[in-house]
Amino acid sequence: MKLTHTLALAALLPFAVSLATAQEVPPERLLNAASEPGSWLLHHGGYDGQRHSDLTQITPENVGQLDLQWIWQVRSAAGAAQKFEATPLLVDGVLYTVSPPNDVVALDPKTGRVFWTYPYTPSPDARVCCGRVNRGLAIHGTTLFMGAIDGHLLAIDALSGQLKWDVTVADATLGYSLTVAPLVIDDKVIVGPAGGEYGIRGFLVAYNVETGEEEWRFNLVPGPGEAGFESWADPAQEAYKTGGGSIWTTGTYDPELNLMYWGVGNPGPDWNGDSRPGDNLYTESVVALNPDTGELAWHYQYTPHDEMDYDSTQVQVLADIEFEGAQRKVLMTANRNGVFYVIDRTNGEFLLAKPFVAVNWVDGWDEKGRPNQVLAPSEEGTFIMPNNQGATNWYPPSFSPVTGLFYVPSWLDTYSVYTKRPVTYTAGQQYVGAFPTMAMPALGVRPVNQRIPEDGFGAIQAIDPKTGDIVWRHEMTDVTDSGVLSTASNLVFGGGREGFFYALDARTGQELWRENLGGQVASGPISYEIEGKQYIAVNAGGAMFVFALPE
Amino acid sequence: MILQNFRKALLGSAAVLLLCSSGAGAQEHSYAPSDIENGRGLYQANCLGCHGNNGDSVEGANLASGRFRRASSDEDLMAIIRNGIPETLMIPRPQLSYGDLRSLVAFLRTMQSGGVQTAQDEAEVTIGDAVRGAELFFGSADCSSCHGVNGGGTRLHPDLAGIGSQRSAFVLQQSILDPRAVVREGQRFYQVTAKDGTTVAGKLLNQDTHSVQLMNEQEKLVSFRKEDLESHGVIPTPMPAYLDVLSATDVADLVAYLLSLTTEQAP
Repeated sequence: MKLTHTLALAALLPFAVSLATAQEVPPERLLNAASEPGSWLLHHGGYDGQRHSDLTQITPENVGQLDLQWIWQVRSAAGAAQKFEATPLLVDGVLYTVSPPNDVVALDPKTGRVFWTYPYTPSPDARVCCGRVNRGLAIHGTTLFMGAIDGHLLAIDALSGQLKWDVTVADATLGYSLTVAPLVIDDKVIVGPAGGEYGIRGFLVAYNVETGEEEWRFNLVPGPGEAGFESWADPAQEAYKTGGGSIWTTGTYDPELNLMYWGVGNPGPDWNGDSRPGDNLYTESVVALNPDTGELAWHYQYTPHDEMDYDSTQVQVLADIEFEGAQRKVLMTANRNGVFYVIDRTNGEFLLAKPFVAVNWVDGWDEKGRPNQVLAPSEEGTFIMPNNQGATNWYPPSFSPVTGLFYVPSWLDTYSVYTKRPVTYTAGQQYVGAFPTMAMPALGVRPVNQRIPEDGFGAIQAIDPKTGDIVWRHEMTDVTDSGVLSTASNLVFGGGREGFFYALDARTGQELWRENLGGQVASGPISYEIEGKQYIAVNAGGAMFVFALPE
Repeated sequence: MILQNFRKALLGSAAVLLLCSSGAGAQEHSYAPSDIENGRGLYQANCLGCHGNNGDSVEGANLASGRFRRASSDEDLMAIIRNGIPETLMIPRPQLSYGDLRSLVAFLRTMQSGGVQTAQDEAEVTIGDAVRGAELFFGSADCSSCHGVNGGGTRLHPDLAGIGSQRSAFVLQQSILDPRAVVREGQRFYQVTAKDGTTVAGKLLNQDTHSVQLMNEQEKLVSFRKEDLESHGVIPTPMPAYLDVLSATDVADLVAYLLSLTTEQAP
């Protein structure tokens, strides 16, 4: 009997090892995520936010043969308010994702079968402007972290699906919510709340991964005595209390500089800035913080005193590139305000700003990078491009070190009429002004498109960060809420509201393969490898679709 | 310019002004222009973000249709706005006063495509004799060969039952005099030309990057792959302009008839 048992164990052992069964992600693995391209350990793939996969089995030559491997459907109906936006994690044979609004699921990445689910019912107090959504998870060791739309941060055991701890990050009844995928650095898990339409006062906060104890907090809207408070110049010194500055996409991190980079949302109220004179730091900015202490190293403000709701939360993508003849450590972002930026991430030096869609609110920048803003909302209404949803939004871009190009899902030729109306603050209620009118529906939930091109349209655009020039553009009839993924074999995967998911040639934008997934693609695709086979996963409608080459 | 002159001529006739006629149906009252205007502002601040300019951005809740799944009376509507709908983005709004709620409902009940007309525009619309308008509609003006009222007409053109609850006098008048001025989504016409030169026109139902779906002139559902087409695109609405066709009195009577169509019966 004993002998049999030993034999059985011995027989199992090689199999177990071949699965890379650590199923545990210490901080060193996150730092070296690039060394294991078969995994997807961080929300953006790596700390640099590039969403670029080094897997090369699927190529421009064979991508046309991609085959559906499995589909996993969420339990809840995916309606207007509940898009399936989460980017999954792939850790040692387990795929983790979040079914909207806040159910955590562990799946077999080869078959789509469920290992476990952790159902979480958010408090009915949860109030979100733009969807009961979740963008994904973070992992440390064997613990997953999820922010919930009711302002809670949960730590869940990655193997059993059991709750480890649950902290209240912010008060849901005041409009604070968590939609962002947390960022784990060393022994801290870092998040910030959404709620820029509810008069929140934004912050970033770090918790100890083991205990859930708060380690530091950085106010994204500084108060009395804090640097930057002078940019809130109302005589009563009240505006900062409802000053906005939300967080809803995950920051990036440079371990060498030990700085992390977060894009910060709009000031409150959104569309009438009369009550908040000044630049309104650190709204509409990128902040570079030390993750150990939460100390600010530098900031750059994309849209000072914003009145167009151009949240600057888009991913701050990190790369080392040659710029004007010198090798530079840069940060690149395609901003909702319609402008592509390149910034020196060591010190915040402004290097380049160039519109990537039709833009009329700015007509230039001074040498420090301060924009010359020429339009603002008015009582009679002001026609401003891009529209209120912006040139791009929460859905992530990618950067390919192979082509050196930045790929961004874009809304082109959109506009809004911004009307300034009086606004008063009521706790827990929207604190915005008048919603700008726009031809393009914000949420895109109607299954038909009867618009004309003059109303705007979507595209994936490839930008050369050295110049800001558009190198190619893949146009769609409708706009897109799909992120993109680039691969080392020169593919770019993306999609849009029409439900098409496709592969483009990263060098030319030529479409090489597409599939109609029957629901809008509203997530960032990922790639992973299991037992030598490369997979591509993406959410569309209320389901996750996974593709690979035929055997 | 011609339209301007026409409107001035209409003004001279010193007609009685009504924003929306009262009557049976979803709408319970006439609404004061100031309430509608106030409601427009409240809509922009509270509702437009999700429901959109035209009130039709949320699937299954076309606010401009005058029909509401969860509400029939104005009081029902006000309760929903105040209390919200659980587990949706429709949060409670206890800060809205009774007056605010009443204004919002006034705006919803009179929502227009684009919401561009003003009380001043409304004041310039003459409303004539609805009985004579009905005679024109089904008789010499021949509206009924395209438009049904609770049936009749064709599937290509909107049935006008209930239109009096959904459109203001100004918008109705504009739709008769200058139908190309505002063409709503859902009423756009589209033409495709195949590579062999044959053309098909119809109402645009849907489109994507690679295909387009129409109701053709024979009222059949047809779909085309764009790669098979020589050209394709939106064409002007087939509705003729009646500015130089109908007299000012005829137009006023037709407007009066359309405004009277406030009862929407189940088909």
